Amino acid sequence: MHDPDADDVAKAGQGDRAAAARLIGRHAPKLLTVARRMLGAQAEAEDAVQEVFLRLWTHAARWQPGKAKFETWLYRVMLNQCYDRLRRRPAAPLEAADDVADGAALPDAGLDEGKLGQEIGRALDELPERQKAAILLCHFRELGNIEAAEIMGISVEALESLLARGRRSLRARLEHLKGFVGDG
Amino acid sequence: MTGENSDRDFVDRALRQLPHATPSSGFEAALLAGYDAWKAERKKGPWAAIKAGLRRFSETIWPGAPLWVPASALAVALLVGAGVGAALPAAGEQSGFSLEQPGSFTLFASDMTLEEDL
Repeated sequence: MHDPDADDVAKAGQGDRAAAARLIGRHAPKLLTVARRMLGAQAEAEDAVQEVFLRLWTHAARWQPGKAKFETWLYRVMLNQCYDRLRRRPAAPLEAADDVADGAALPDAGLDEGKLGQEIGRALDELPERQKAAILLCHFRELGNIEAAEIMGISVEALESLLARGRRSLRARLEHLKGFVGDG
Repeated sequence: MTGENSDRDFVDRALRQLPHATPSSGFEAALLAGYDAWKAERKKGPWAAIKAGLRRFSETIWPGAPLWVPASALAVALLVGAGVGAALPAAGEQSGFSLEQPGSFTLFASDMTLEEDL
């Protein structure tokens, strides 16, 4: 199967700025969306994506098309960047546990769109990082399970298990917002 | 609808409510600037690339310090290691312990005596 990015990667590796700009335009916004959700902070997500592209430039000249799909490699580097950054973070103080969404305590009425997004974002942040990554890759990138599993370096069965547990857990955390999210 | 499908639909609907992550102004320009910097670095030749790699490595092990600090620490550690390594055989000779004469080292001597007694 032809990798749509292979030509641009090779050209960027040889110093073609236009090819580099095309790669950035094609991938940076999507990478940023996933990194932003993984890390929770815009500035840190932008730093992570910058680091991903720096890695890309240094590898571009040696890129061997056919070995792996470029986009798969790119997302794997991005996920590793996010994992590294999450692990380097100091542990949250215990007081922060008070902020954890508690369905019974939240006022459902008058929840505006911004607050709803915040609640959902917070519930997502509370998921274990691999469950979160699986959900984000499948939702925001609309990747199939095979490709998402390849990015995460796990089997399709393991990915499906992560997805099922992550979705169940997220739904349980957001059950109190059912009226806002919609029943489908 | 099965539980898993229902969870998936619920989560998909919920994630659609999340605000879009819009890149800050100049984000893509910064990425391109990174590309230009890489290109400029590459033009300087392999020595510049090695130096840049060393700088990144030193930034990882000793953040914020100039390159000579971790380099000096490594050099001192090497000198101490070499010094200790050179001094050790002399110390071994003084105590009568030599790696070149394994026959003189009789750790199980008492056990063997026991076996002979049996």
